[in-house]
Amino acid sequence: MQSEFTFKQGCKEGFPIFVGYFPTAMAFGLVCRDLGLRIWEAVLFSMTNFAGSGQFLAANLIGKGAIPAEIFISVLLVNLRYTFMGAELSRKLTKGIGGWQRALLAHGTTDEVFSVAVLHNQPITKYYLAGLEGIAYAGWVCGTAAGFLVGMILPSALQLAVGVTLYAMFSSLLAQEFRQKGFKVLLIAAISAILNSVLILLLHLGVGWAFVISMLAASFFGAAITDDIEEYV
Amino acid sequence: MTDHPPFMIPILLSAVATFLVRALPYYATFLDRLPSFLSKSLRLLSVAALGPLIFPGVILDYNQSWYAGLLGIAAAALFAYKRQGMIIPILLSIGVTYLALLL
Repeated sequence: MQSEFTFKQGCKEGFPIFVGYFPTAMAFGLVCRDLGLRIWEAVLFSMTNFAGSGQFLAANLIGKGAIPAEIFISVLLVNLRYTFMGAELSRKLTKGIGGWQRALLAHGTTDEVFSVAVLHNQPITKYYLAGLEGIAYAGWVCGTAAGFLVGMILPSALQLAVGVTLYAMFSSLLAQEFRQKGFKVLLIAAISAILNSVLILLLHLGVGWAFVISMLAASFFGAAITDDIEEYV
Repeated sequence: MTDHPPFMIPILLSAVATFLVRALPYYATFLDRLPSFLSKSLRLLSVAALGPLIFPGVILDYNQSWYAGLLGIAAAALFAYKRQGMIIPILLSIGVTYLALLL
């Protein structure tokens, strides 16, 4: 059965991810342009990070002038879900994969790659996973460059409106999570949003630290009110 | 050219943070043995992150026209609630915010 888990098969199954990533990455390219990054910096950002919300968050923090420690910890926490996805993926992989190959495969872990790969009941090969991750990666990196270039011909009034992209992405994610998982999602997000606003506006805390504190507090609260966690993975 | 901000440091720091959480499960196995409360909290982090990723930024970024971003994300959220996908909600919110800024 393992013969079907080829590089080509991975690319084939990853193509819908490519299609989905490209426009989102374009939005990221626009955000980078807005921040004053050069095109190679935006592309390098996507190549080295390859993480949707993590990158948008880092870009936002850079824009707000956060210190490096704030950026590091915030990004680490927002991407911590990859640890759980990676744990599942590494269990599904066939044995005997070398150290540097594991590191490369780990770099390709994303929400969408994970959700496609774990659908298979049999162990998957490194070639299949490399194809799946590779095509998704191509969509993300090329989309970033395309978005940056499109930004060069966009009128300035429209560029201000494009700043909403980041928030639109997160609110869309929240709406989809709400539809799938119910009211508790909204409650947890509302608590963290209110706490974050209070910490920034009233206590004048740094954006990154406020983010970390409110995110942690809301997830502890969520864990206390949630019995069955499997549905939140 | 010399006054270009040093973007490389935050970009690479963010990359290292992302890579650490990705590589960890490929090299360590203690994750299966975390206490259940901690495990639950960690899994909820991505949901808990969405609130502070939106507020108060979406209001503060458009200081005089504070409602512009709010209208934009409301449009995006409504559309995303009805249908899968991210492209149309994002484009819609850009359109709505653009109109709100013009008015």
